[in-house]
Amino acid sequence: MLRHIVRRLLQLIPLLLGITVLSFLIIQLSPGDFLAEIRLNPVVSQETVDQMRANFGLDQPLHIQYLRWLSNVVRGDFGYSFAFQVPVLWLIQSRLLNTLLLNVVALVIAWLVAVPIGIHAATRQYSATDNLFSFIAYIGISTPTFFSGLLLLYLAFVTRLLPIGGMTSLDYALLPWWGKVLDVARHIIIPASVLAFLAVAGLMRQMRANLLEVLRQDYVRTARSKGLADRVVIYKHAVRNAINPLITLFGLELGGLLSGSAILENVVGWPGLGQLILDAVTRKDLYVVMGSLVIGGVTLVLGNLVADILLAVADPRIRYD
Amino acid sequence: MVRRWLELITVGSLLLALLAGMATAQTPPRRFSLPDIPNPKVVTYPHEVGKYGGVHVRAQISDPRTFNYRVAQETSSTDILANVFDGLVEQNYITGEIEPALAESWTVSRDGRTWVFTLRQGVTWHDGKPLTVDDVIFSFESVFTEGVQTSARDTLTFEGKPLRFRKLDDRRIEFRTEKPIGTFLRVIGIAILPKHKLAEALAKGGAEFNRTWGVNTPPREIVGTGPYVIAEYVPGQRVTMLRNARYWKVDKAGNRLPYLTRYVRLIVPNLDAARLKFLAGETDVYAARPREFTEFKGLERQNNFTIYDGPETFASEFVVFNQNPAGVKPPKLTWFQDVRFRRAINHAIDRNTIANQIYAGRATPAWGPLSVGNKLYYNDKLPRYEYNLARAEQLLAEAGYRKGGDGFLRDPQGNIVEFTLSTNAENNDRVAMGNILRQDWTKLGIKLTYAPEAFNTLVGKLVGTFNWDAIIIGLTGGIEPVTGKNVWLSSGSLHMWWPKQEKPATEWEAEIDRLFNSAEAEVSQEKRKQFYLRWQQVVAEQVPILYFSYPKTQPAVRNTMGNVTPIGLQGAIGPIDTLYYKQVLR
Repeated sequence: MLRHIVRRLLQLIPLLLGITVLSFLIIQLSPGDFLAEIRLNPVVSQETVDQMRANFGLDQPLHIQYLRWLSNVVRGDFGYSFAFQVPVLWLIQSRLLNTLLLNVVALVIAWLVAVPIGIHAATRQYSATDNLFSFIAYIGISTPTFFSGLLLLYLAFVTRLLPIGGMTSLDYALLPWWGKVLDVARHIIIPASVLAFLAVAGLMRQMRANLLEVLRQDYVRTARSKGLADRVVIYKHAVRNAINPLITLFGLELGGLLSGSAILENVVGWPGLGQLILDAVTRKDLYVVMGSLVIGGVTLVLGNLVADILLAVADPRIRYD
Repeated sequence: MVRRWLELITVGSLLLALLAGMATAQTPPRRFSLPDIPNPKVVTYPHEVGKYGGVHVRAQISDPRTFNYRVAQETSSTDILANVFDGLVEQNYITGEIEPALAESWTVSRDGRTWVFTLRQGVTWHDGKPLTVDDVIFSFESVFTEGVQTSARDTLTFEGKPLRFRKLDDRRIEFRTEKPIGTFLRVIGIAILPKHKLAEALAKGGAEFNRTWGVNTPPREIVGTGPYVIAEYVPGQRVTMLRNARYWKVDKAGNRLPYLTRYVRLIVPNLDAARLKFLAGETDVYAARPREFTEFKGLERQNNFTIYDGPETFASEFVVFNQNPAGVKPPKLTWFQDVRFRRAINHAIDRNTIANQIYAGRATPAWGPLSVGNKLYYNDKLPRYEYNLARAEQLLAEAGYRKGGDGFLRDPQGNIVEFTLSTNAENNDRVAMGNILRQDWTKLGIKLTYAPEAFNTLVGKLVGTFNWDAIIIGLTGGIEPVTGKNVWLSSGSLHMWWPKQEKPATEWEAEIDRLFNSAEAEVSQEKRKQFYLRWQQVVAEQVPILYFSYPKTQPAVRNTMGNVTPIGLQGAIGPIDTLYYKQVLR
């Protein structure tokens, strides 16, 4: 097991190299650069623009720029943002926890809701409730988050029950600790339920399908025919076997913790990584894009690794050595 | 003094506090004194005496990018920093005149080359240290330090020679220029920065200075002399500012300003969110878009705000043809360089439809490079190119362009008139304008390819490869046209139709060069105006740039606020100094 983990971590290195080289090339070879807007400012001269290019190192050949960036990253220095003139790591760190909080809350809600519904739907296949849940799930899968986000924001606007976007209120800094928790909780309801709704829809369908598959197996029939109570058959035997594919899904979701909510964040004004990265990409703020790609790549690989480990723990038949 | 930035993606949020100003300082009606400041500035624009207290909230679209005013370039930073820092002079938001600020007075030598400014006494930085002449000297040194990224260096360099400055005594600074600079007061109002906080960074060079006072700096380090002190910055959420109890301005009754205790800039993801927040009562001010005017008018009473019918912005959208031999070849080059062709095409721009469809009628047709909103210099006698396709066809025929049997327009040599029109695809308004142009131009028989593309690509062509035919784009303007000399001088890098000419390619471009150089050197505003009137005339006759319309502003402000009116230049509401809550509730 340990050897497997080490090997997987070592595989990260060429993978990340590949990702960064490719994205560096794509960003740099696409037309225009960060200075495009400044060039169109009537009061800025060509000399000033040239000087900025030199300051940013954009006047160097591509491979030099990349190698310089790489050698700095190895030493833990992700460079400076062109737009903000602050270290990329500070920018990312200032928003990382917000994105993480939103996605973890959404993930927890999704699992707590989806698994029971999935079991319910599978054990009462084609019943009225099963059909209803399926119907809702289809809506959930097919509704883009920006749309449901906007819809809920509008509802909040009309009813005045919830804040319209953002993460904290103006007086947040003056609140006691429990007031702060409540304040963030009020703000997180809309984005977290949007994300959770989407995840529930997919997860619940998965759970239902897996459980139906397992319930058709011989050992379930055996258990039933030897007179075990239906509850024991389902929860002790069937569900435990049906949950394995979900663990893989869980790993994938872990990998998406930092990137899964990017579009929604922009709609509801959640101060997370999504806003930062989208802005950096459109403005070609090179090192912010590169930094977030590296972090996204690492979390994706680690998420998959965690899933593999969990799978091995949950299912004794799976061994990696 | 805030340099106005190109509004490329969003035209509309044009509520700026201060621009670049101009001559003749008014003497305040009464003199007051404060315990620490013997001669505070008395606000010169009409206002009523307000009440203290209250939290004022406005939304802005993106995060500030730096707290270092010298290197700040975008409104997302400068809209905040304009409340925290001051210049030697400032602009009256209604008249555009230049008034004293940190400098209480100034003199200019008879030859117009030497200016002496006297600093206001008793002004302190937010941390309590006194403002000195050394701070002023330091601020100008930072502009000219190698590697510092600031557009102020370009505005303070005259014909390649940087501005010279020195300390005369503890209260006076002297500036010298090689030749008289008429617009000197407009460009001298750069933010004054504290030497005791920033000298160390500047000593390490430009690159280090650019990074100092980034958004990761603890707010208490950011000290200015302005009406507000930055108290907190929460990334992606808000910037909170608190009233500066040591501010150097008083109202007409001698009360120290500002009135509002807290000023919060809420960071929202887009204009729609800003609008929702305003309608929900979470913010106090919203720069409504032209299309929203009627709708907001209907919501006024129910939501307790007023939407004002503001003046035109200084920014316009336009189409420009490439006249650069390095970019286009004949026959295209011949058409685009032919003023008769450009004039004919100008008649085929339906400015009313553009104003109606894009701006819901809230825009004024543009006939020249200056906005109607620029009351100081606008020329109202320019030739007008009314929308008239028959007239356009007639003018084309006179120039030898005729429609063939296949319906395509042919030049005198028989080539089909065929070119590509582009604009930046991110801007829906511009894309729509392009569609209006396409319909009319196609009717003239032009074989037009309409291809909106990414902004970056567009700029690359405009200033890099020069490989384009016709582009729809926009520029913002300052009050003083010479600040746009990069666009108008034939040697300018933004002289879009043919940048960086060795010497002027045409007689009219040479004339514009002369007019701009004369205007820059002219101290008298009235004489400067004559140069500007002539310049507008030349541009309107030669039509290197075909302007569409100047959209109007429509600021919406909650009725709980006082001192909102009169509405100033570009739709600016009353400055933060004198805004107040009629009833202080929050």
